Amino acid sequence: MTLLHERWRTRVSLLAAGVLDGREREATLAHMATCDACRRDHAASLALLERFAQDPVHAAEPGVPTAFLVSRVQARLDAVTASRPWRWGWTLASVALAASLAVIVPAIVSRVAPGAKAPERAVAMGDDALRRLERNMAREQALRYLSEAQDVLVSMAANPRDCDRDKARVDVGDEARRSQELLNRRTLLVEMDQEGLASARPVLEDVDHVLQEVASLRSCARAGDVERVRRAVEERRLLMKIRLMSRELQG
Amino acid sequence: MDSWSNPGSVEPSDGELLQRLAGGERDALAPLMERHQRRLYRVALAYVRNPDDALDVVQETFVRAFQHAARWDGSSEVGRWLTRIAVNQSIDRYRRDKRRRATYEPLEEGDHDERTADGAPSPERTTAGSETMRRISAALAALPEKQRAIFVLRHYQEMSLEEIADTLGLHLGTVKSGLHRAIHGLRQRLAELQP
Repeated sequence: MTLLHERWRTRVSLLAAGVLDGREREATLAHMATCDACRRDHAASLALLERFAQDPVHAAEPGVPTAFLVSRVQARLDAVTASRPWRWGWTLASVALAASLAVIVPAIVSRVAPGAKAPERAVAMGDDALRRLERNMAREQALRYLSEAQDVLVSMAANPRDCDRDKARVDVGDEARRSQELLNRRTLLVEMDQEGLASARPVLEDVDHVLQEVASLRSCARAGDVERVRRAVEERRLLMKIRLMSRELQG
Repeated sequence: MDSWSNPGSVEPSDGELLQRLAGGERDALAPLMERHQRRLYRVALAYVRNPDDALDVVQETFVRAFQHAARWDGSSEVGRWLTRIAVNQSIDRYRRDKRRRATYEPLEEGDHDERTADGAPSPERTTAGSETMRRISAALAALPEKQRAIFVLRHYQEMSLEEIADTLGLHLGTVKSGLHRAIHGLRQRLAELQP
């Protein structure tokens, strides 16, 4: 095949792909009228592109609300810019402060005005509001926990760097550290509203279990051990469960 | 004044939103993501062929967009700039995913039925769709990165050659030859995969 004909073949492909126009298109069509091989080439390329037109990816949707994606991006940015334990600490401190205020303020009011009737209604409303606050926070923290766990598991599923190619060991130090950090925060989550997280418990426990496996890995782990964790994630269809549960928690 | 919150004003342009991101305003993420996330998801999914990975690519694309918004100089469309980030993220993820590629699992209809716009597929379509996807994914996997990116942007985004060149930072001639080679490579690979 000559170099010139190779150029025609390129043009024939581009014609099939629908990106030729004007004089170049006319010239290619004219050449094809005299070239059997080019016509066959064109027909084969059109058939290929027709097959790709059936690919469901053309109509695929992310399957999660934009708000959820936004929250994941925000969480990632938080992870980059802030120390997470600090943030969790403050969240829990906020709950504790709200609880304290709900108890102390009515007591102070009754002391200042001993003759006045204690504001029972206000206390009852405060309790309701507090429960709602706790429930929302528990859901928010569970959502964040799942999102970050998902990041760790996806990172594990992707091919980590070899830390010792000869001994088939891979570097999962970052994943192990992040898993342990997540599990530490999870113990705080357990102390939060349980009722609001009842439906999430099976998924959370599945995630805990796998994170414990990851956390137990050495930073330069055997490839077989990493593969075992990866298989556990696949067998439990954990990433799918996390996605669905996150959607439910978002309400 | 924040024109997004002003009911009397038109919606801010992509460029304005990016400028707000550059100023550290995270509120600008939501409208920008609302506009672009579906398209970027399809670019990523066409490339990485896994819904979870594609979602991660979209997420990382907007994280990078926020972090590097100040670098956008206004010379190209924001959509194209985001697409370029998404393609680079897809390539990175795909590189790191060699091990999983070795034990590749095709997208299953179960992963997709809630993502398609036209309701549940028929059983025939489901079977045919799975097989089509399996072969398409395998054929795409055999392409070199650049050819794969060029083909994805042309076939799944219907970009012109010039737009692809601009998005990927390539010469027009490179895009032309890359598309031609991608088509021939896919033809060859699919022929090999025929039962």
